[in-house]
Amino acid sequence: MDDRQKYIRNFCIVAHIDHGKSTLADRLLEETGTVAKRDLQEQLLDSMDLERERGITIKLTPTRMKYTYEGHEYILNLIDTPGHVDFTYEVSRSLAACEGAILIVDAGQGVEAQTLANVHLALDNRLEILPVINKIDLPSAEPEKVKHEIEEVIGIPAMHAPCISAKEGTNIKDVLEGIIKEFPAPRGNEDAPMKCLVFDSYYDNFKGAICLVRVFDGNVKKGDKIKFMQTNNEFEVTEVGYFTPKPVESEILRAGEVGYIAASIKKVSEARVGDTITSATNPASEALPGYKQVKPVVFSGIFPVDGSKYGELKDALEKLKLNDSALEYSPETSVALGFGFRCGFLGLLHMEIIQERLEREFNLDIITTAPGVSYHIYKTNGEMLEVSNPSNLPEASLIERMEEPYVNMHIFTPPEYMGAIMELCTDRRGENTDVVYLDEKRVRLDYSIPLNEIIYDFFDSLKSRTRGYASLDYELSEYKPSKLVKLDILLKGEICDALSLIVHQDKAYERGRIMAEKLKEVIPRQMFEVPIQAAIGGKIIARETVKAFRKDVLAKCYGGDVTRKRKLLEKQKEGKKKMRNIGSVEVPSDAFISILKID
Amino acid sequence: MSKSQFALYIHIPFCVSKCSYCDFCSFVPKLEQVTTYISALKQEIESAKEKTKGRQVSSIYIGGGTPSTLPAGAVEEIMACVRKNFDLVENCSITIEANPNSFDSEKAKEYARAGCNRLSLGLQSDNDKILKVLNRAHNFNDCVNAVQFALNNNINDINVDIMLGVPQQTKRDLEITLQKVIDLPITHISAYGLICEPNTPLTNAIRQGKLILPSDDEAVEMYDYTVDFLAKHGFKRYEISNFAKEGYRSAHNMNYWKRGEYLGLGLAAHSFYNGTHWHNTEDFTKYLQNPTNCREDIEHETIQTAKEEMIMLALRTTDGLDIEKYNNTFSCDFLQEYKSAINKLLENDLIQIKNGVVRIKNLYISNAIIAEFF
Repeated sequence: MDDRQKYIRNFCIVAHIDHGKSTLADRLLEETGTVAKRDLQEQLLDSMDLERERGITIKLTPTRMKYTYEGHEYILNLIDTPGHVDFTYEVSRSLAACEGAILIVDAGQGVEAQTLANVHLALDNRLEILPVINKIDLPSAEPEKVKHEIEEVIGIPAMHAPCISAKEGTNIKDVLEGIIKEFPAPRGNEDAPMKCLVFDSYYDNFKGAICLVRVFDGNVKKGDKIKFMQTNNEFEVTEVGYFTPKPVESEILRAGEVGYIAASIKKVSEARVGDTITSATNPASEALPGYKQVKPVVFSGIFPVDGSKYGELKDALEKLKLNDSALEYSPETSVALGFGFRCGFLGLLHMEIIQERLEREFNLDIITTAPGVSYHIYKTNGEMLEVSNPSNLPEASLIERMEEPYVNMHIFTPPEYMGAIMELCTDRRGENTDVVYLDEKRVRLDYSIPLNEIIYDFFDSLKSRTRGYASLDYELSEYKPSKLVKLDILLKGEICDALSLIVHQDKAYERGRIMAEKLKEVIPRQMFEVPIQAAIGGKIIARETVKAFRKDVLAKCYGGDVTRKRKLLEKQKEGKKKMRNIGSVEVPSDAFISILKID
Repeated sequence: MSKSQFALYIHIPFCVSKCSYCDFCSFVPKLEQVTTYISALKQEIESAKEKTKGRQVSSIYIGGGTPSTLPAGAVEEIMACVRKNFDLVENCSITIEANPNSFDSEKAKEYARAGCNRLSLGLQSDNDKILKVLNRAHNFNDCVNAVQFALNNNINDINVDIMLGVPQQTKRDLEITLQKVIDLPITHISAYGLICEPNTPLTNAIRQGKLILPSDDEAVEMYDYTVDFLAKHGFKRYEISNFAKEGYRSAHNMNYWKRGEYLGLGLAAHSFYNGTHWHNTEDFTKYLQNPTNCREDIEHETIQTAKEEMIMLALRTTDGLDIEKYNNTFSCDFLQEYKSAINKLLENDLIQIKNGVVRIKNLYISNAIIAEFF
């Protein structure tokens, strides 16, 4: 190994949400002098506002830091990872770009579901793990107990784990020294053909799609002809560099290093995460392992509240797609909602992020229909359909059998909540596959459960039933046979297609009743009575009624009141624009999603 | 009404005390404030002469505040000034507002001399409990006397205001009030729902839970009763909150609902004249300094606002909206223009279209119905 790589460490930080990943990253930047304290915004690496608000990291910003240890200057590349299950694949590619992972565990809370999920991902990628016990400043901190837990539950040595407070900056040097001592240096072959792993990409208005890469073999510099080994697209490199965390252009990126490549790539979908970049003139014989094309698993319709904004919605989705290759969308028409799009997401969080960005960044009022999954429908004529939109479900007589996607779910909880959790999971058609007592205070419950049952409010229900103590993780497993029906909602006698759902037949009655009740709560009183009915295949299974309102005016209106009154009514009309007309019924745009809350 | 006519509104911003629900421009004045106000008002009247040349005043309404709190002679003085500067139509309807307890035999004589031929009494209720909630200082007997003073002086066209939906008002209370009111020899009743304007003592008390409004259902029940009861006794509803004996509709108010023009004079008075809405300043000192040049919120009508106003005002009345008049005014086709709103409203039996006239069938929700046309 050459001397240059000996002083490089590529690592990431994995943690359960709220265990302090971003705060530790900030402290590392500060301690290494990468960012002066006065310039350090709280949690600098989370670059999107939305992320900062939610305290979760979605986008990764790899940062190069310098640290001198025993007389040598080391280059430490920190690759931040998202901590949410929706982005598991992105996490796995980021891990693949590293040799080591810092595992942060909260000294008060111990190992949680995501901790374990991410550790397994790191172990799968054969990374060295450096456990770090954080939040030792808290009165509830029990670092010794947590060390034991890490050894028992995860099976890695933890007795010498640094005990730190990222918030207060305690013992950060121990972490830096741990990185240098525990993590191996990269061992790339600089003379071999170029091999760079794309672990993320983003869109820049001037430079096009930017690839964030780890160079495994060879080197890359401006002017190089490169090729993406999955798509076979070829480009000429216009710029290479690294982040501090601001982008800094450099002459060359060499084996073992982390940085970025710009090559006038038009779309991020041409720079796919997990792809291998090689030289177009001297290509590597095989790509780096682990490439997967990410596929959306959660689908919903997105419509503009104001039908005339369809074009704007389309432009907005196009722009978001530039930066988010996982987002999928195609035009959809609804009788009730008009023109819109059926969108596919990696998960619920991903869906919420897209919705919020449409609303905040593009100033659009949108209606989102119930999120659903993609069902496999086998027709009697032998055809197989993938159906995510309830309107596309064929007539019952044409269906031979149906399948729905399941996930393997792991729930970590104190034992006293097991009963409540089991009840919840059974209610959601989950099948208990394992119960593992980790210690006297923690149990892991494993379930095979339909994805459709957990995509909307499952996490909230779990949290409320366990007073916030349980944590959850899951991965997609397989499609299993299922008996599904289409549940329709009728408003004033007319089917509102945007409210239709595909549900398991055993749940249809209850679901129909709850939806009718919910709708009664969210649909305001109108000038006339509004009957709400739930129906399966033409059979009414539940009914509620929104009574007509009685009065809105008995006041006088003389000369002085005319303008005021007119403006009042104009305002009333303006307020109605937030409503959607379904037939003659005005439905608030958030009704379409709020009715899904079951608990 | 022919185009050359307009209505005149004169605002008297003074009261003896302030009612708990009132957000009108009125206050309890000092004597010298009254004197200076009247001279400023006369100045404004004189200055309006020029721009109304060649046009006639169809009706006059002296409102407030409480015009009957003015010192003796003031109404005569104002009306003399009006006659000097405006051309009044023959039999011009001239209404003056009064509180039952600030109106006496002397005032009745003065108003008759000034040409007033219509009196509007702010009774609100006969019930002392409710009058206390409203912070009004009169009782029913004052009202009986006031009506008699007016009749003695040949002021025969008399309106009484009553209020519905007041906190603590029961249906029984209302029944008694209505019975007492129709027993009076009057021609017109204005029965309207309490509006909780922001920042009035009454609204604040309701917010704080000290007083509780009747529910919508109770209010509607009271109003239904009122409409039936008054009809039985010869008072026919002709607008959301107005009832009249045959031939005694308020000419002045009908002009508002027909979207006729009106000039408002005095503090805070609103005008709609030559296609423009405005109101005078609400600042008393400012008005005194410059009564002829204190217009605010000047708004020129557009086709859109004109359409909205015509629909909004006409649909408040039982006469309804004359489709042909609308079409001729705006050179368009009403039924085509509002096709989807009309279909929705017809489908739900909320409006009726008969002989070229649109009428609201359920006036209680007229706001929502009218908003469909906006």
